[in-house]
Amino acid sequence: MNSPVLEAGVALPGEAAAASNEVGKRVLQHGARGRVNGEAVYTQDVVLPGMLYAAVLRSTQAHALITAIDVEAALAAPGVRDVITAEDFPGIKYVHFGAKYSDRYPLANGRVRFIGEEVAVVAADTLAQARDAARLITVKYQPLPVLLTPEQAMAADAPDIHDGDLTAAGKNIAQLRDLDFGDVEGAFARAAHVFEGVYEHGVVVPACMETNGTVADYDPENQALTLWTATQAPHFIRKEVSHVLGIPIEKVHVRGVNVGGGFGGKSKVCEQEALAALLAVRTKRPVKLTLERTEEFLSGKTDHAKHMTVRTAIDAQGNILARSTSVVIDNGAYTALGPVYMAAARARTASLYRVGAAHFDSRIVYTNKVPGGQYRGMGAPHTIWAIESQIDEIAERLGIDPLAYRIQIANQSGDTNPLGWQIKSCALSECLAEVGERIGWDEKRRNPKPWRGVGVAAMIHPSAGVIYEEGNFSNTRIELGADGAYKLYTQTSDTGTWQNTVLAQLAANALGVASEEVTVCHMDTQNAPLDLGSAASRVTFVTGNAAIRAAKALREKLAGHLAQLWECDAADIVLASRTAFDANNPARRVDLGEYVAEYGAQVCDGYYSVPTKRPDPDTGYGNYAATYTFGAQAVEVEVDPTTGRIKILQIVAAQDVGKAINPTAIEGQMQGGILQGIGMVLQEELVYEDNRPVNANFLNYKIPRIGDAPPIEVVIIESPEEDGPFGAKAAGEPSINATLAAVANAVAHATGIRFHKLPLTADRVLAELKKREGAKLDFKPLKRPYNVHVATVRSMYPAIVFPALRKVGTKFARQRRKGQRPEVLVANDLQEALRELAVAGRKAKILAGGTDLFVGIKQNVYDLDLLIDISRIEELQGVRIDNGMLCLGARSLLAEVSDSDIVQRALPMLAQGIRRIATPQIRNMATVAGDLCQEKRCWFFRSDLPCYQHGGATCPCFAVMGDSRHHSIIGAGRCAAPCPADLAPILTALDARVVAVSRQGVRHIPMEEFYQWSGLTTLRADEVLHRIEVPLVENATHAFEKYAIRKGDFAEASVAVRLRWQAERLVDARISLGAVSPLPIRATEAEQHLMLHGLSASSIKEAAARTIYGGLPLPGNHHKGYLLIELAQRALHGAAGRQ
Amino acid sequence: MAYQLQVNGTAFSIEASGDTALVDVLRDDLGLRGTKIGCGQGECGACSVMMGERVVCSCLTPVSRATLFPITTIEGICGQAVAHADADAAPASSRLHPIQQAFIDHGALQCGFCTPGMIVAAYALLNRGGRVTEDDVVEGLTGNLCRCTGYRKIIEAVLDAGERMQRHE
Repeated sequence: MNSPVLEAGVALPGEAAAASNEVGKRVLQHGARGRVNGEAVYTQDVVLPGMLYAAVLRSTQAHALITAIDVEAALAAPGVRDVITAEDFPGIKYVHFGAKYSDRYPLANGRVRFIGEEVAVVAADTLAQARDAARLITVKYQPLPVLLTPEQAMAADAPDIHDGDLTAAGKNIAQLRDLDFGDVEGAFARAAHVFEGVYEHGVVVPACMETNGTVADYDPENQALTLWTATQAPHFIRKEVSHVLGIPIEKVHVRGVNVGGGFGGKSKVCEQEALAALLAVRTKRPVKLTLERTEEFLSGKTDHAKHMTVRTAIDAQGNILARSTSVVIDNGAYTALGPVYMAAARARTASLYRVGAAHFDSRIVYTNKVPGGQYRGMGAPHTIWAIESQIDEIAERLGIDPLAYRIQIANQSGDTNPLGWQIKSCALSECLAEVGERIGWDEKRRNPKPWRGVGVAAMIHPSAGVIYEEGNFSNTRIELGADGAYKLYTQTSDTGTWQNTVLAQLAANALGVASEEVTVCHMDTQNAPLDLGSAASRVTFVTGNAAIRAAKALREKLAGHLAQLWECDAADIVLASRTAFDANNPARRVDLGEYVAEYGAQVCDGYYSVPTKRPDPDTGYGNYAATYTFGAQAVEVEVDPTTGRIKILQIVAAQDVGKAINPTAIEGQMQGGILQGIGMVLQEELVYEDNRPVNANFLNYKIPRIGDAPPIEVVIIESPEEDGPFGAKAAGEPSINATLAAVANAVAHATGIRFHKLPLTADRVLAELKKREGAKLDFKPLKRPYNVHVATVRSMYPAIVFPALRKVGTKFARQRRKGQRPEVLVANDLQEALRELAVAGRKAKILAGGTDLFVGIKQNVYDLDLLIDISRIEELQGVRIDNGMLCLGARSLLAEVSDSDIVQRALPMLAQGIRRIATPQIRNMATVAGDLCQEKRCWFFRSDLPCYQHGGATCPCFAVMGDSRHHSIIGAGRCAAPCPADLAPILTALDARVVAVSRQGVRHIPMEEFYQWSGLTTLRADEVLHRIEVPLVENATHAFEKYAIRKGDFAEASVAVRLRWQAERLVDARISLGAVSPLPIRATEAEQHLMLHGLSASSIKEAAARTIYGGLPLPGNHHKGYLLIELAQRALHGAAGRQ
Repeated sequence: MAYQLQVNGTAFSIEASGDTALVDVLRDDLGLRGTKIGCGQGECGACSVMMGERVVCSCLTPVSRATLFPITTIEGICGQAVAHADADAAPASSRLHPIQQAFIDHGALQCGFCTPGMIVAAYALLNRGGRVTEDDVVEGLTGNLCRCTGYRKIIEAVLDAGERMQRHE
């Protein structure tokens, strides 16, 4: 088929050129103005008179019975208007997937099943009051065994996470499906080759920039409930809220707001809607409940982790005779859309490429983790990764080029696959050929540069999935109003997808007007007729068709009436901007505003139902969607063998979209989806430790930053789908589907390693590369005699120390106050600050930039009564040279120091090093003193776990047995948290000293005596850090090398160097290591080696190898040794080269 | 305690406790809700505002600090459109800063939640003057997360805005 290819960035070649035809044009986003000027209202911006604020008390237990809840103290707290628990609801569970899958109450009912589950909610006059009161609620838990993985949950002796017949399919199995399509056994029996592989991955999350939230307002007179809520599906919100509250659905309405991203994370009811609603009903005041980011990570629905065993049978030519897939899906604690997710993921296993027969056995298993929901692709990204990894292996075995092989087995228009999917429009082969050509496949595949590789993958995606029990239809309503312009009402929701712009284009086209005449009013269930919402890639297709019908009906109505009035042909009536006229006699025209004034607003509804039947509920056979979208992506990567970092050099993505209604919209969606895919494959995963995610923040859950965005070339291919509006099919959601596979295949080409577990984080890649090399790290731990003790204790951790301390020792933990809100006192001069610090019986700290303090207070790592703001104290500020010393005032901003001409001239390494710290915002707020003094960033410590640092000697260090990838490899003892400050190794290498002032006098503290431990300096409680003094020495060269996962992150490892020379001779070497030990340390063995042997390449190599001496890594951070050696080499070469 | 703030060229007197975050003062006390809360911990940039000439996270700025510099929010940047009105590209009545217009023209936003913060960061970058490269844009917007767009169109928009602003300097 000859499908036209649309060049990215270029308008469609000449089509129906009528001014009113904007289908296919790059129409600018409707509503963009409000979003760029700050006027757009999101749920968090909704304010109603008398509004209360709600805060949720969440479970701290992963699996436990609730034996008592006492809310009395909370009810009595200032500003509190109401507190609710499960018994305040009518005792009805959410419908969710219905019938036997209905397993969740709005609030934990006698039992909690994951850390973060909602137990109680407080409504108060202010958010602070609500949060303070929530902390006063006491809950008594009786812990039950925790089942964190499906494997644990399916064990014969595992307790049931849910009771009754919810899990009739097996222990903690919410659903089990064993399906055959065609003669699978026969196919495997006669196969020429059989391939088998296991592929697995953890939990990833949508991470929308806007968290979940709801404002609920109850009108007692009409008994009507109104919700402003961040959702993709107002219909399901109404349905579920009315269900669990026992309010008739006609009395529950959702209003329109801007929504900050959905990606499936907001596509069904969440939890906050019903909670806010009940509080509104009870208090008769509006109630706002918005989630904090940590809460979003803890309770927002995730993607489902999966364990997939894939078997493929091929004949001698490579035709796929059958595929058999076994999938275990992690459900989390409750079933949201679990069975649908399972069907979706499973369907991808045998629908991409021509497959003769298919078998699935899949089970979705309850675990004590946050429930899984939908995330873009519905399991396709990871499923396709598994399939496509194996396709590469098959091609290799057959000796066929992987791209050519895929084209050989590509789906074709007219196919019916073994699942019963009828492929109508299909340009998969074209997509594959396009991306291959544009990336330069042949040359790069055959002659890759060292450590570079190219990979390709394809995708199939159900466009307008027919998954809803309610059917798959849309109603829209279009109205000509008093302003002479049009409003299109839809219950779908534009969460950033540009659907409202596309719908406007479609409706406008049907009317014959410019799209700016049509305003799409989304989400409002009072004004819009029923639609199932924005999910399952249905809106362009289903709602779009309905919008066209509504618009056509309105046009007919208007034209018909005007034709009657003017006695002309309806076909001659032209609708233009705010007017209508007779094409044959343009003097006959009417202002549409006046028309409405006379005849009233004109309203028409449009209905469209997908003609496709749903698959058979028992056999699963039949079409999964109205139509299918195809695509392919080719990726070129470069792997750094010294760090394991995978750099994506370029991506070419081609998508067969049927028809591009708005090319700019599609490009944006494709670029966005691809970057989400990059996050999924390289760096995103929820890290579970002690039964909870310990990276529940954007610092450690690493979604891609702007620096991670590679060049993406987008190719839009149009192969019209006859039922789609103008031939369009889904284009937005599926761009993520092929990315993981394409990247992984490119990595396999570059390294020869095929990974079976995602994500491909740099530390895992590095460890694997080194293993293959047979490389070994020589830490020489005995160089630090204390390591013997540490190693001994660590060896006893699994069997004795950790269980004992975790279970028993933590009961004796130091009592900590939490949720303190310290006062702020602005000190006008240094004496005042010192006076205040010296006041006994009060926990006070200096407030400089606040970037560490305020985060730490929120995370309960600081417990303070008073913050002393030093931002007015002149003498603590400024950069100057004094007696051969560069003096940095303690509260000088990092940005001020790096911007300073003095610093850039005198010590460029310092300026450059600072510019690698964090982000522009943080550097504009944080101070040099603050950077040095900041608290540990250990994720156990920051997740409020009862560790040694929080609780004292009876508490364990969680890093010993837990995920220690970010922790210390040298010098850890009872605590393994590294010092995160970049200035620590830099200033140590520079031989700087800290000047501390108290009422007793002045102390000069060399950097090497400044730290007791990470987050703990040798400053006394009554001392203020006054300034940092850096000696300016002659004939010195410097370097600073830092490795971080993303630009803007804390270091995983860093090395700072200062070399002093006399002519060509090295007379002094200072090498300081950062982020690998609890305090910055000097690599003295390395230094000595350089002094003895100079700075030849081999000497530098030897010296670098010595930087890890005395190290005792943990099982998870061995790789930091390689990083350190590599960074040391780079730094030493850099400093030597500057000589 | 009373604090005197200068926001978008207007003086305000605010009654708040000293540790109250500037973002809450802007949104709740002054009704300037264009600045968004994405994480409350300085990790996403959605709350970015200008303090003097520098872009900062208002979620981590205590109101006691915010009195020191004039503050500009997304609403204030919009108000500066008159001085920068790009007569070639947009009618005078549009009153959008070139950066804001460039975001619209390039389709550099989808859900729009990160957009105010992104524009403020771009504003800080471009106001430093001089030609701006793609690397500069990446550097300047490192603290602003976006989940929707994949950033490519944002980079194009900021580069284009930089050129538009240079033409009018």
